[in-house]
Amino acid sequence: MADLKENIAEHIESGRLKTDELILHMGPQHPSTHGVLRLELVLDGEIVVKVIPHLGYLHRCFEKHAEAMTYPQVIPYTDRLDYLASMNNNHGYVLAVERMLGIELPERVEYIRVIMAELQRIASHLVAVGTYGLDIGAFTPFLYLFRDREYILDIFEKTCGARLLYNYFWVGGLSHDVHTGFEKEVGDFVKYFRPTLTEVNTLLNYNKIFVQRTANVGVLPADVAISYGCSGPMLRGSGVDFDLRRDDPYSIYDRFDWKVIVGDGEVGTLGDCWDRNMVRMKEMAVSCDIIEQALASFPEGDVTTALPKRIRPPKGAEQYARVENPRGELGFYVVSDGTANPFRVKCRAPGFVNLSVIDEISQGHLISDLVAILGSIDIVLGEIDR
Amino acid sequence: MATVDKKYTLTFWEKIYIPELVKGMKLTLEQMLRKKDTRQYPEERWTPPPSFRGAPVLVLEENGVERCVACGLCSRVCPALAIDVQAAETADEKERYPARFEINMLRCIFCGFCEEVCPEEAIVMSNRYELAFTEYADAIFDKDALLTPVAELRPRLEYLRAHR
Ligand code: SF4
Ligand code: SF4
Repeated sequence: MADLKENIAEHIESGRLKTDELILHMGPQHPSTHGVLRLELVLDGEIVVKVIPHLGYLHRCFEKHAEAMTYPQVIPYTDRLDYLASMNNNHGYVLAVERMLGIELPERVEYIRVIMAELQRIASHLVAVGTYGLDIGAFTPFLYLFRDREYILDIFEKTCGARLLYNYFWVGGLSHDVHTGFEKEVGDFVKYFRPTLTEVNTLLNYNKIFVQRTANVGVLPADVAISYGCSGPMLRGSGVDFDLRRDDPYSIYDRFDWKVIVGDGEVGTLGDCWDRNMVRMKEMAVSCDIIEQALASFPEGDVTTALPKRIRPPKGAEQYARVENPRGELGFYVVSDGTANPFRVKCRAPGFVNLSVIDEISQGHLISDLVAILGSIDIVLGEIDR
Repeated sequence: MATVDKKYTLTFWEKIYIPELVKGMKLTLEQMLRKKDTRQYPEERWTPPPSFRGAPVLVLEENGVERCVACGLCSRVCPALAIDVQAAETADEKERYPARFEINMLRCIFCGFCEEVCPEEAIVMSNRYELAFTEYADAIFDKDALLTPVAELRPRLEYLRAHR
């Protein structure tokens, strides 16, 4: 490949081969864009010169819409931002409103929230890794991972009644308590799930073809990642040790003993696509650790005691709450004007910020590598377009 | 410009190919012997757990009267503006009943707020999940389509009492 590029470059320089820039539109209906995203590619032959993402196909006016609804009514809409990680979205929003109201949550609520959020993180990473394999051309791991995700969705369904859009975290608590047998089901799942991670590693992540397609591709240096504001596995894949669960602790994450996963350039350069994917793989194991610890000290109690009768934060109150979504820093900035509706809700979507770096890291790669790079960013268009 | 070096040499064991092949087949066989995770829908139906939030429906009491008193709370709380209630007077003990009650299933986002807010336990999330329509008009459920005998909704009602 390197030879090919050098050859092309040589030809162009010597003036023997005249090339024009070609503009190609990838998407909006392209399977590897994971939704409706259009990438405008400026190509030199097969080599990417520039990538311009065009967004907005899934724009649903979330932020403006939220102003017309009461505080609790916004929660089901946050579900629909990052529809692969609805629990985490709920968490960010209710955290902001709870801080405005100064609500103290019962222990049990915090524990359930952490377990749910971590299960959701596993489910989301399963999709990310599975579809990434699919982008690269590995179909089987995709099916295995989706099968395992189904078990998590089954647990969610038994607890909150929906498989994808839960509306489960409410301001001041949860919509209702977990179902009987929840602890056992989650415990069983974690026990079942750990070995499958090893299986996926042999099947996909250390597969020769996969390594060849992803190692040294789309290298994102740490300083570029930071200057673009990347977060989540994108940032940690580049070796930056930053995780909101540890560095800006919310809920009860500071009670558990777990470590932040960072990329180490194991098979290629630090910050390549493989690293980002591997961070997700290892984070699933970390989530299992957290869930196990939370289950070990799972308290009894009532989950509805702190639900406020009236949700009306004082006039002028404002709050920015951020949580570690599977894709990075998800922030909700909520401003109150003293009425039952929020005056302003701003959502900082991690996918949106992470996508902005694509032009920087895909220049000079082939179009087929662009698919690998886009997949490693793990975008969800629901939250990018909002 | 990033250059990507993708040269790779096979090891001896990979060159003779057979062990790799056997490894692959072993995995496939293992998967074949696993418990099946798929369901032959629609021949094999799925019964949702009582916690399931399917289509919202109205509870019809055993005596053939709906529970709803047309207070309109559910239509106020609905974030998707899916519910339309029109109240009328009745000689019954409950005094008011819905002359018209429509839920637009294309608007409904199955959040469950209507069920939560209802003072009479008159609107509950049923276990109906096959909601596909060929006409827009079919998707607007009126009272005839919504009223469901209380016996059918018993598991859900019991679940709600136990968990809220
Ligand atoms: S269903 Fe319940 S909330 Fe809705 S109008 Fe009837 S009584 Fe009121
Ligand atoms: S479930 Fe939610 S969206 Fe559907 S009718 Fe009830 S309140 Fe409206």
